[in-house]
Amino acid sequence: MPADNVLTLRNITKSFFGAQVLHGIDLAVRRGEVLGLVGENGAGKSTLMNVLGGVVPRDGGSIELKGSAFEPTSPRDALKAGIAFIHQELSLFSNLTVAENIFIDELPTGPLWSVQYEQMRAKAQEYIGAFGVEASPVTKIGSLPMGVRQTVEITKAVIKNAEIIIFDEPTTSLSQKEKESLFKLIERLHHEYGITIIYISHILEDVFALCDRIAVLRDGHLVGVDETGRLDKPAVIRMMVGRDLSQVYPKVEKTVGDVVYEARNVVQGRAVQGVSLELRTGEIVGLFGLMGAGRTELVRCLFGVDRMDSGEITFRGRRLRSITPEACIRQGMAFVTEDRRQEGLFMPKPVKDNLVAVGLRHMTGLLGMVKRPQESAEAAKAVGNLGIRVQDPERQQAKSLSGGNQQKVVLGKWISQQPTMFILDEPTRGVDVGAKHEIYEIINGMAKRGATVLFVSSEMEELMGVCDRILVMHRGQIIGSLERSEYHQERIMSLALGGRGR
Amino acid sequence: METMTAKTSTLGRLRRFALSESILLLLLLMFGGAALFAPGFLSLFNIKNLLLQSVDIMVVSVGMTFVLLNGGIDFSCVAVLALGSVFGAWTMADSPLAHTPMAIPAGILVMVGIGLLVGAINGLSVVVLKMPSFIATLATMMVGSGVAVWFASLVAEKASIIGLPESFFILGGDQGILLPVAIVLVLALLAHWLLSTTLFGRWVYAVGTNPRAAFVSGMPVKRTVFLLMVLSGVFAGIQSVLATARNQAGIPSLGDRVFIDIVASIIIGGTSVFGGSGSVIKTVYGVLFITLLNNVVNLLGIEWYVISLIKGILVLTAAFIDVFSKRVDLVQR
Repeated sequence: MPADNVLTLRNITKSFFGAQVLHGIDLAVRRGEVLGLVGENGAGKSTLMNVLGGVVPRDGGSIELKGSAFEPTSPRDALKAGIAFIHQELSLFSNLTVAENIFIDELPTGPLWSVQYEQMRAKAQEYIGAFGVEASPVTKIGSLPMGVRQTVEITKAVIKNAEIIIFDEPTTSLSQKEKESLFKLIERLHHEYGITIIYISHILEDVFALCDRIAVLRDGHLVGVDETGRLDKPAVIRMMVGRDLSQVYPKVEKTVGDVVYEARNVVQGRAVQGVSLELRTGEIVGLFGLMGAGRTELVRCLFGVDRMDSGEITFRGRRLRSITPEACIRQGMAFVTEDRRQEGLFMPKPVKDNLVAVGLRHMTGLLGMVKRPQESAEAAKAVGNLGIRVQDPERQQAKSLSGGNQQKVVLGKWISQQPTMFILDEPTRGVDVGAKHEIYEIINGMAKRGATVLFVSSEMEELMGVCDRILVMHRGQIIGSLERSEYHQERIMSLALGGRGR
Repeated sequence: METMTAKTSTLGRLRRFALSESILLLLLLMFGGAALFAPGFLSLFNIKNLLLQSVDIMVVSVGMTFVLLNGGIDFSCVAVLALGSVFGAWTMADSPLAHTPMAIPAGILVMVGIGLLVGAINGLSVVVLKMPSFIATLATMMVGSGVAVWFASLVAEKASIIGLPESFFILGGDQGILLPVAIVLVLALLAHWLLSTTLFGRWVYAVGTNPRAAFVSGMPVKRTVFLLMVLSGVFAGIQSVLATARNQAGIPSLGDRVFIDIVASIIIGGTSVFGGSGSVIKTVYGVLFITLLNNVVNLLGIEWYVISLIKGILVLTAAFIDVFSKRVDLVQR
């Protein structure tokens, strides 16, 4: 039924730096349907949609939109053709008002190019009313909660006569309530306006609740697409992962020893409200929580990246008096930041420089001169040990590597210090499945040698697969600690939502 | 990834060379052109003059390169030149130490000390008060220049302080240009060594590239930034010694004319205004180039406004190359 298809992708391919991300994707989207697009991080979902939206050029294949060839070269082209994007990070201007944001690319103007604010507000008000945006047209975006901002963005798409709206992980920064109202809105777009929806997410519950059909991507291949009614969760997971969980999460023999790390009553602003925890040698402890629970804020305090208001830390029997990254490193601690781009790597610098960033101070000789042979040798060793795929670590810039290899560089600069306490904040974010597996093995290897690992992640499965124990945070406090035998997805989630965990 | 780098390696290396060494090519071209077309360019007198003119801004430019490597700027070098000159000259000519054997060492100490002090104030403003170096050094420049003019008017009848010991003038090339040129060369080499081989140098580049990543990696970010500001001040102080000796007087307006040339030298040399990339060698080339430009324009009898125009265009071009190379990287991401 070709007439039924509003959008047809044929044999789409795309590579970044020689690594193929999309291997000939064929996908037809039916007019007026809600199509779920699922897959692990790095499966190619976002790349595929970026190709469609004109954000990145495709290498090969063709796109047919409403019966004619579609060659988007910029996001503007896509919008003109009726394709709107609702991104993970919203693309609104927080210093402008709701109305200004809605009309930002075509502000209605009158004589002398003056902006017709009255007209704009009136028109914005009309749509705001229809979509139940809980804000006036003159409110500044910056003062609105995330959920409302998203509704503004959707309103903008509808005003632009979008026929296809792509949602890319729209629920990551929403509360449960906001999420529910988003889903109601999507239903309305679908039923009342006849808009075709492509919904990208890795939260399968949402996809099953919302979508007519589900397409599964894995490692750049479309591994299946079918009616939601004919699929179930285990089947989709199997398609997404392509192997059993035991293969994804390696097992090791290791021994958990005595308590070496103790934090008492750590407080920072409203994000961390009196957290205490005890960690043992050789132990991998997961830290789970929803967006805004305070996980990242907590671990940043523990390593001194952000200053804690109060609290004390005892490590290897001694109370730490100064808590700065420099002091923590001297104590044998390491910290893999969540923000690889801004805090983890020196992107324009060679891989080698990044790999020795922490250890450099121990590679100096006379007059503080850096011993270059030692530097190169250490970098080469890390490249070998971690299997970092790089041609010339001395010259190749860190930013030229794929996400997984970049992350291995970050791990590498710490591991060469043989840390005894390892704090990891979302170490597998934006990393493909294969590299994830390797990162888990690295973490296991650290623990096997007796290091303590504190592992922050928003992927519950990952924590259940790797950790000996999971701590759950809610509103700045740790409200639960589960041993491996007590692991249960729903239980962890209900704790994270502030419940008792049954 | 493998194929990409293989394909672009020869071409990329050529392009990288042309981009990174464009200043050297430009310098050689300029020199060749001047030798052919500018009358009297290759005369001994002119070459001497050329070298002395490059000495005039070399040390301070090398010093400010440290600050630019951190993505900052140091306006206060203008004030250090002026302050050092008037206080140093006063120490040597009119202070209780004048006409004693200690006059010259004390004068030099005062000049370099003023650089250290101003640099330390800048450093504290940037590191502790978290001010942008742009504002912090603009303030010290304004205050310092004011103080210099005030002090000169207080102790000297005309604007400049004269009566300095004659033996001090050898630092200005009075007895031949070898000494000042050698001093400048040693300082430039020292700065180059510091940046390219020591741990401190690595920290400078890391902090200039990404201060947050440097902090998380346990590098002493604040200390590094502070030291950069101090180094810039000290180098300006040393420049003030050389300039005072060459002018044979303490002059409060010493830095007024040279600031534009200092910044132009560094930027045309190819040090990035965003921090994290650049080198002392580049600045040395930049200084030689700017001096050559001034000299040739002078020899050819071209009006002065033309040179300002040419410099402006060159700075813009250098800045464009800087931004462009960064943008290319962004797209390749």
